[in-house]
Amino acid sequence: MSTPLLERFVSEARDLLQAAATGLLILERQPGDEAAVNEVFRSVHTLKGSVGLFDFPAFTKLVHAGEDVLSLVRARQLVLTSELVDRLLDTFDQVSAWVDAIDTTGTLPKDADGASREMTAGLRAVLPADFGASQATASAVRTGELVGLDWLAALPEKDRLAAFAQAMDGAEIQAIEYAPLQDCFFSGEDPLALVRQLADLQSLAIEPTEPWPVIDHLDPYRCVLCFRALAAMPRVEVETLFRYVVEQVRVASVPPELLISLTGDPNGGPVYGDFVDEAYPLIAAGDWPPLRRAVGALLQLTAPTLLLASALRWLDAILAVPVPNSDWVNALIACIADGESNFRPVKAAQPAALANSGSRHLPDPTAVPEAPGRTDPGKVSSTAVRILESQRAILGLLTAGGDIAARLGSVAQTVTNLLAAEGHRADDLAAWSRAVDAAIAQDNAAPVIEVLDRWLAANHPSAASVRPEAGEHLIQEIKQTSRVLKVDQAKIDTLMNLIGELVVSKNSLPFLAKRAEEVHGSREMSREIKDLHAVIDRLAQEMHGAIMAVRMLPVSEVFDRFPRLVRDVARKLGKQIELSIEGADTAADKNIIEALGDPLLHIVRNAIDHGIELPDERDASGKSTQATVLLRAFQERDQVVIEVVDDGRGINPEKIKASALAKGVIDEERAARLTDQEAVNLVFTPGFSTAAQVSDLSGRGVGMDVVVNGVEKVGGSVSIISVMGQGTTVRLSLPLSMAVTRVMVVEAGGGMLFGIPMDHIAETVRVHRDAVHRFKQSEAFVLRDAIVPIIRLDRLLGVEPSAWFGDGSDEDAVLVVRVGGGLVGLLVDHFREGMDIILKPFDGILADIQGYSGSALLGDGRVLLVLNLRELL
Amino acid sequence: MNKPLARGHDSDMRGRRPRVLVVDDGITMRMFYRSVLEAAGFLVEEAANGMEGYEKVLTQAFDLMIVDINMPKLDGYALMQLIRGEPAVRGVPAVMISTEAGDRDAAKAYEAGANFYLVKPIPPDELTEVARLVAGVTVP
Repeated sequence: MSTPLLERFVSEARDLLQAAATGLLILERQPGDEAAVNEVFRSVHTLKGSVGLFDFPAFTKLVHAGEDVLSLVRARQLVLTSELVDRLLDTFDQVSAWVDAIDTTGTLPKDADGASREMTAGLRAVLPADFGASQATASAVRTGELVGLDWLAALPEKDRLAAFAQAMDGAEIQAIEYAPLQDCFFSGEDPLALVRQLADLQSLAIEPTEPWPVIDHLDPYRCVLCFRALAAMPRVEVETLFRYVVEQVRVASVPPELLISLTGDPNGGPVYGDFVDEAYPLIAAGDWPPLRRAVGALLQLTAPTLLLASALRWLDAILAVPVPNSDWVNALIACIADGESNFRPVKAAQPAALANSGSRHLPDPTAVPEAPGRTDPGKVSSTAVRILESQRAILGLLTAGGDIAARLGSVAQTVTNLLAAEGHRADDLAAWSRAVDAAIAQDNAAPVIEVLDRWLAANHPSAASVRPEAGEHLIQEIKQTSRVLKVDQAKIDTLMNLIGELVVSKNSLPFLAKRAEEVHGSREMSREIKDLHAVIDRLAQEMHGAIMAVRMLPVSEVFDRFPRLVRDVARKLGKQIELSIEGADTAADKNIIEALGDPLLHIVRNAIDHGIELPDERDASGKSTQATVLLRAFQERDQVVIEVVDDGRGINPEKIKASALAKGVIDEERAARLTDQEAVNLVFTPGFSTAAQVSDLSGRGVGMDVVVNGVEKVGGSVSIISVMGQGTTVRLSLPLSMAVTRVMVVEAGGGMLFGIPMDHIAETVRVHRDAVHRFKQSEAFVLRDAIVPIIRLDRLLGVEPSAWFGDGSDEDAVLVVRVGGGLVGLLVDHFREGMDIILKPFDGILADIQGYSGSALLGDGRVLLVLNLRELL
Repeated sequence: MNKPLARGHDSDMRGRRPRVLVVDDGITMRMFYRSVLEAAGFLVEEAANGMEGYEKVLTQAFDLMIVDINMPKLDGYALMQLIRGEPAVRGVPAVMISTEAGDRDAAKAYEAGANFYLVKPIPPDELTEVARLVAGVTVP
């Protein structure tokens, strides 16, 4: 389904959309920022170029509209209002959603056409009235397809011929695409009746906008039809008719040549070489009646289902007027000559008959000028003629003066190459080469122009030259490019896994050395293995460090989405907030950065929603109405610290206490003893939320405990410092990398080994059996005035040995761990050593297993299961 | 000035693959050019902006350049002006690519130093044919 090109497009599109959105926000604050305007425009422009490689018309249309708007903004013809920024951001969001859909399904979602139409109309509404029209017409003439009008070709040829005849009689032909709303029946509309009122309906196609469901699921009250019609009536009348459903209708005036497209079997049928040969001189001479007679005669001889017949029918229609359009005739003759179905008329402004002839003859350039009709047997394709024409145009620029040598070189090379590519005779090349030499000698392009003109003139009477307007370009700021290699994340992950395994394999060398000495009695061998181990150890560590460095991402990966978020949320709440970001280039491991997103989102939303006051309130308390939220990242030893600082109202410890009391989180006695800081810390308690009212933004019944969970999962910690009336700082401390986890190994269930992450471990104690108290089914012991519940690890994991062997001592090994703010004693058989391990999460069918965060390989080849205490307890 | 501007083509091209430099800031577009042109027998070199393109043109030999117009750092027009002012490489034919169809843009491209002008989206067949003709590659 998905091709490498499409994959590349998806990743590029995401980058471009991010860049465009970022630039747009900068622009909103600093409307004059030229670099930002260019950045946004170029991103969208490049996106438009890329999407053109694929068949996503809805996508292309919308991006094109966005580009048009931005081009006016860039030219300072359009002011970037907040509304326009909203609209553009919505557009980028929509396009992002499509990119996601393309990524997963390889295609656009079904509703893309409708959404595109709606949003495109919204964007185009801000453009000057003539903007879209002139653009659309220009592109129509160029490519033979008005954007979004490709359905024209699918209409029956009979209808199109009829409409074409009307157009030749001077009628205006309108293409109408009408997609009624799905619930239009409920608002009293009757789409069919509306369409029937079109005065001179030439063609009508009614199609479902989505595949019909099986009859049982068909909802007859939902309109899923799209009407496409051709009508010979003025545009104003059509618009008047559809005035109540304007946003559901697209009307376009159709230039007659857009109606021409060939249908039928391209294979078979006679070859009309003679006809083609006769036709060109007739066209050149403007002698139409004989041509029309020939067409009529051939039409009689040709089976009507053939492509040829279709071309002849169109020729007949074009020739029906006294002075036919010779471009169209030429293009159709070319179709007949090549047996091609691709009707591509040339824009009238361009030299006609250049781009459309199927085969052309180049005159022998060595021929005497008096006999221009003599032609060289070598044939030149239509593209070649167009290229020669371009060279002629470029040379035309040179005669005006200037450095001829600078341009002659590439022109001479291009023509030489072209002649060689077309397999031309040596004397053509020689003639060209002579002309070039002469031009250089005279420092004048005239000799080469003469040769080119002669070649072109034989086919085409008026060798056109494009007169350029003077183009002025300043060379932009030139900077050294830094080269960046884009690598798939999965490849880095693979490297990471491999280095992990290498570290573990390396760890078995000491075991081997021990065996060499103890079992095989070779001390010499043992020492050599140990030496080798030292070398491999160093290399592995360096390699590990290098790969870790590759995995480092800047926190801007996460920070970048906040300008948009803060802006949206602030607008929604009617608050004025300035977001500043510091240390966005601070780097941390990819996994840490990825784990950071959601907690940070929650904290920032909390800050804006609960922390920042409304402008009036701020004013009353003597603060500036504009609040500040600061996102700050920096490195502190081996930790990366992220702070969210707001200058809002701060957290009121008394309110927290009251709320905690009301929810039964603490009792009165404890509330009385709490310090302010301890009270503030209560917000981390699971299920705690101070918001008096659950708001749309932050308080979806989840509180700061979610943040704590997310951060602790990657081995970090959260703290809050709040000063009443001055603001709150939430501080996240995270490890720089999480690839190496430090665990404590314990034995339980009669010799089984388990790893427990060191972050959770408070202390290890040996508890005398008599000191263990029993309350009903539970056990507990007293640790420095605190009662700590005891949980037997083997029982918890369901690995209880059938018989308890005891180790003879009357003390139990209890590992005191901190989970969710409380202490729990895990009773194990034995403590073992602490070690650094490379934790591998479970995958495959074990991926969903609860209670374990993964496994690690021990140096002696055994597998260590690492517990996830948060899930277990 | 006394350099042979049009080289004896037959002897030059025979026996080696033509080299094309694609200068475009769009990574997808570059991949498109690469796949189409490699299929047509070209050796493809890429540059992601005008500056990179300029460096490559100066240090490697090319039979053809495909140059996008709207690019960061150094746009297509400026790149072409630089190249045409550089005696050693000014003879390399160049095709400029734009998304705008108008005569005005084509004229600007020719003025800047292009030899031909194509408008996106470019059908692969057209790209192949133009590249072949401008670089002087005969149909096998």
